[in-house]
Amino acid sequence: MAKAEKKKVEDADTDLIAAINAGRVERFQELVTRYQGKLYNFGLKMCGDSRDAEDMVQDTFLNVFKYLKDFRHETKFRNWLYRVATSTCLKRRRKSKYAPDRELSLDEFLPKDEADISDTVPQWAAQPLAQVLNEELAQRLKTAIVELPEKYRLVLVLRDVEGFSTTETADILKLSVANVKVRLHRARLALREDLKGYFKNE
Amino acid sequence: MSERSTPHHGHDHAACIELFTRLSEYIDNELDEVSCRDIEAHLADCPCCTACMETLKRTVAFCREVEERPVPATLSRRLQEIVAGLAAPKPA
Repeated sequence: MAKAEKKKVEDADTDLIAAINAGRVERFQELVTRYQGKLYNFGLKMCGDSRDAEDMVQDTFLNVFKYLKDFRHETKFRNWLYRVATSTCLKRRRKSKYAPDRELSLDEFLPKDEADISDTVPQWAAQPLAQVLNEELAQRLKTAIVELPEKYRLVLVLRDVEGFSTTETADILKLSVANVKVRLHRARLALREDLKGYFKNE
Repeated sequence: MSERSTPHHGHDHAACIELFTRLSEYIDNELDEVSCRDIEAHLADCPCCTACMETLKRTVAFCREVEERPVPATLSRRLQEIVAGLAAPKPA
């Protein structure tokens, strides 16, 4: 029996992609303008360095251009773009000498002793967000994100920074939904530990 | 921790540990109604787990507020040049 064709996903990029694939190659610039900011910031969090992020964006757009004709609209273009970006990013990092990913276990985030347990919500979590978030904290947070082991960082950035759903993240990373949830929870707990340390010393 | 008479909250309490493993799913509204009700009942009786949940929620909220940096002009120019090269007619 013939395999049922997946339903095409239409989005704000569908017409533009059709035009580019029909030969209006110069319109690829519109796609670049639309997504360069998002991809650059994604690259900054994934690579941690502006030059690497710039190279990652360039390689991603070159790969997108190369494979755009093969894009089947089985997902939103934005999701496919991030899949290409993620794979570009991982390939780049594997070429360089990085230490293997550290595993984060749930146990390391459990309170070690009574002194570690608080029965009151700390000010940084109780006050309105705008009163707590400042430049210094934002910088600390960015550093903490970049320092997460890569496989946890990827999930956290896609879910909590870029705003993809759990299912979309699983689709982009070709992981199971359960795996995305496990990695996300550990990544969030690792960040929370970092923030707790920051506010304790403040 | 749900035993309020306990003077010190031992965070090895099974219900607290169970909740701890599912906090992100709870925050993300990814649990079924029954599990949500169980968690809410536990939170209502456990200030330590409430503090834990609120700090995790705030951590997620911070991530969503991370400001984006503008694209460097050098990168925009580099991309424009690449696209111009791709769009240029190929020599016969």
